[in-house]
Amino acid sequence: MSHKWGLVVDLDRCTGCQACVVACRAENNIPTAGPDQSARGRTMQWIRVERTWEGDFPNPKIRFQPVMCQQCDEAPCEPVCPTYASYHTEEGLNGQAYNRCIGTRFCANACPYTVRTFNFYNPSWDMPLNLQLNPDVSVRSVGIMEKCTFCVQRIKSAEIQAEAEKRDLKDGEFTTACAQSCASKALVFGDLNDPNSEVSRLSASNRSTRLLGELGTRPNVTYLERGTWQDAKNS
Amino acid sequence: MLPISSEARGRMQRTVEQIEKDLLQPIFKSSVKYKIAVSLSAALVLAGASAFGYQLYNGIGVWGINSPVFWAFDITNFVFWIGISHAGTLISAILRLCNATWRRPVTRCAEAITVFSIIIGGLVPLCHVGRPWLAFWMIPYPNQRGIWPNFRSPLAWDFFAISTYLTGSTIFLFLPTVPDFAAVRDASKGLRKRIYSMLSLGWQGTPRQWQRLEVAMHIMAIVIVPVAVSVHTIVSWDFSMTLVPMWHSTIFGPYFVIGAIFSGIAALILAMALLRHFLHLEAYLTPLHFNNLGKLLLTTSLLWFYFTFAERLTTWYGNAPPEMDVFWTSIRQSFSPLFWTMVICNFVIPVPILSIKRFRTITGTAIASCAIIVGMWLERFLIIVPALDHKFLRYAWGTYRPTWVEDTLMASSFGMMALLYLLFSKAVPMISIWEMKVGLQPHGGGIITTAPATKPHGLVLEGPLPTDVPE
Amino acid sequence: MNIIYGLYANPEAAQRAVDALRAAGSHLKFDERQIVIISGEPHEGYDFADSHLTTRPYRWAVLGGCIGALSGYLLTTLSQKGYPIHTGGMPVTPLWTNGIVIYELTMLGAILTTFIVLLRGARLPSFKSTVKDPEIWLGKILVGVAEPAEAARPELEKCLLLAGATEVKLSSG
Repeated sequence: MSHKWGLVVDLDRCTGCQACVVACRAENNIPTAGPDQSARGRTMQWIRVERTWEGDFPNPKIRFQPVMCQQCDEAPCEPVCPTYASYHTEEGLNGQAYNRCIGTRFCANACPYTVRTFNFYNPSWDMPLNLQLNPDVSVRSVGIMEKCTFCVQRIKSAEIQAEAEKRDLKDGEFTTACAQSCASKALVFGDLNDPNSEVSRLSASNRSTRLLGELGTRPNVTYLERGTWQDAKNS
Repeated sequence: MLPISSEARGRMQRTVEQIEKDLLQPIFKSSVKYKIAVSLSAALVLAGASAFGYQLYNGIGVWGINSPVFWAFDITNFVFWIGISHAGTLISAILRLCNATWRRPVTRCAEAITVFSIIIGGLVPLCHVGRPWLAFWMIPYPNQRGIWPNFRSPLAWDFFAISTYLTGSTIFLFLPTVPDFAAVRDASKGLRKRIYSMLSLGWQGTPRQWQRLEVAMHIMAIVIVPVAVSVHTIVSWDFSMTLVPMWHSTIFGPYFVIGAIFSGIAALILAMALLRHFLHLEAYLTPLHFNNLGKLLLTTSLLWFYFTFAERLTTWYGNAPPEMDVFWTSIRQSFSPLFWTMVICNFVIPVPILSIKRFRTITGTAIASCAIIVGMWLERFLIIVPALDHKFLRYAWGTYRPTWVEDTLMASSFGMMALLYLLFSKAVPMISIWEMKVGLQPHGGGIITTAPATKPHGLVLEGPLPTDVPE
Repeated sequence: MNIIYGLYANPEAAQRAVDALRAAGSHLKFDERQIVIISGEPHEGYDFADSHLTTRPYRWAVLGGCIGALSGYLLTTLSQKGYPIHTGGMPVTPLWTNGIVIYELTMLGAILTTFIVLLRGARLPSFKSTVKDPEIWLGKILVGVAEPAEAARPELEKCLLLAGATEVKLSSG
């Protein structure tokens, strides 16, 4: 059975701790931009936690929204890449072929979610941080566009393992780095083609919504939220 | 044919000789001012090359672009220079097709601007990508790596459009230059003679050759106009094919083409004013030409205003939040000084100058053109950056500031244009000699609509040659 | 090559000379093709200048456009079908976007064909030695006969002078 990978983000559970951001950085060899580059708008993150708030202490109304590549079914970043570096995989992911990217940055402009990150400089890790790099993920050089891949290395690794053991993948057998590190289980990853998976069940919830759904990009990331603002007291 | 008095014929004869002498002179002599100008332009080009080398070595982070403003000065310059290239097409091709004989002295200056600005504009996409050493992957060449261009991408269309336009414009520039190269060949000796013999392809001037040349120019003029329109439309589709608010607009195609013709004519007027002064071409580039080009500039200024107004009005009336964010940032907030400068430069300054006949002089049109060049550069910038600054998700909004590298590269693009143009004016007669001579013929080289006379009319053709502005 | 020619100050005189030469051709034993006319500018409307009128360049341009369109079609459609690029749901050969590339290549085909047809039709580039008289560039029209028979030269000279030549010259080499 073919898979279609999806992610559910429960905004009513998200505490804004940013453990997902850190885990993603560690898993995917994302370089650190540094304070100067970040001040110039070049923070490198594949997932970001957007904060919006209203009011002041002691009762501010705060909303945290993790935003990562939405892996759109009708991705606006795909038709515009002149070298097919941004393409659609058979499992519903928006793939990024680093080797093909010549860095025109058209995809980043076309993406309405601004989730694509560009390597403005050659990344470097001072010793001993280079020992922390994940060997399953390539390190991108200058001029290459990158973005959230739903931890495709973990997907591939699990699929290969399952095929070697001649069995189907089980729901919850593996997950993305962000979902794995989320303390409040706000992020759930799985196979949308499996009707019994957690992700399928949650996507069908009456709290579900799509980010910028009106644009017709048909994202594979579903956001769950009861309403725009949540008091700390309400569940 | 109408008989001409021998006096008039004598005057024409002298004028033909005068044309030959005046227009060939810059090739054989160069003044100190010329050498200074060439050195300054070359210095700017070198500065740009060093800045580019610095950028290649360190990465594109030396620019000011960031997330979300991934395109800024680079694409602004790209669209700007491709826009300037529409000067030659309009003047040469459209006026040629309309048999507007006043275009004769102007065609080669215009066509030269076209070719050089396409070269400069075409270099930008190669240099602005993150990995310029791999930019050749946009060329469809057979390879073993599974690399192939995506023909759905507007950048792939850009590649084909700009290549076609460059080829067409170069041929369009080269063809009518061949007889003039032959004139230079016959007036020179030694190495210069050999070079120009090769450039003139052994041109003789037989009626067969003239016939074929004129037909070929006619066909080229017909073909190059749709190519020019398509080129800038495709460049505009780099923006409007995305969902970015205030980019995703159907008006971009015609808007950009009009803007291109607008900035192209302004650049042409400036170039002509400078050539007229430095090469002493006062008898050839007359107030009549500036007057007529000024009228065209006025028309395109009004058209530009119409398109800008139409686009902004529909956005404002529609009141969609993402678009209004971009709209207000241009009109009222951070980009408003630039926006209103643009309106002043493109509309408020040129329209009074160009619509009042007393001001539509060489100086007046040159001032208007300077303002328009600045204004049109700002227009490209203001289309690109505010929209990218303020995309859909507020958290991802950003700002942009250029760095010295981008400033140097931009200045160097102007320097390169000046350098190429100066070198061209040294190697090629800037005014088409043979076309000027055709203009002196009794029917002015236009269409003969009257049957030849069967008996002498008895009048004598005298009076000043029609170089003054008619009342 | 040897040419005996006269320089004429205006196209009417040149036309008279050409007519005279055509009339004298059989008598002085030279062919119409040996008549040489060279000028520094085109003179439309005169018989000597218009006799090479042809509409074929337009057809060649259209043919070139068709070849360009065909190559554009082959490039976009065949290559996209042939390469194993995974387009992930995007149509493999979308007509409208391929059409833009095909359009550009059509125009390029028309442009290049026009250029090549011009070169061939005008017999350029040509590097054989021909007559070069600087007077051409000063408005004179050169009308003469190439490789005339030795005996016919004085007659030819008279003929050219009668038609109104400002001077008659003989050029060789």
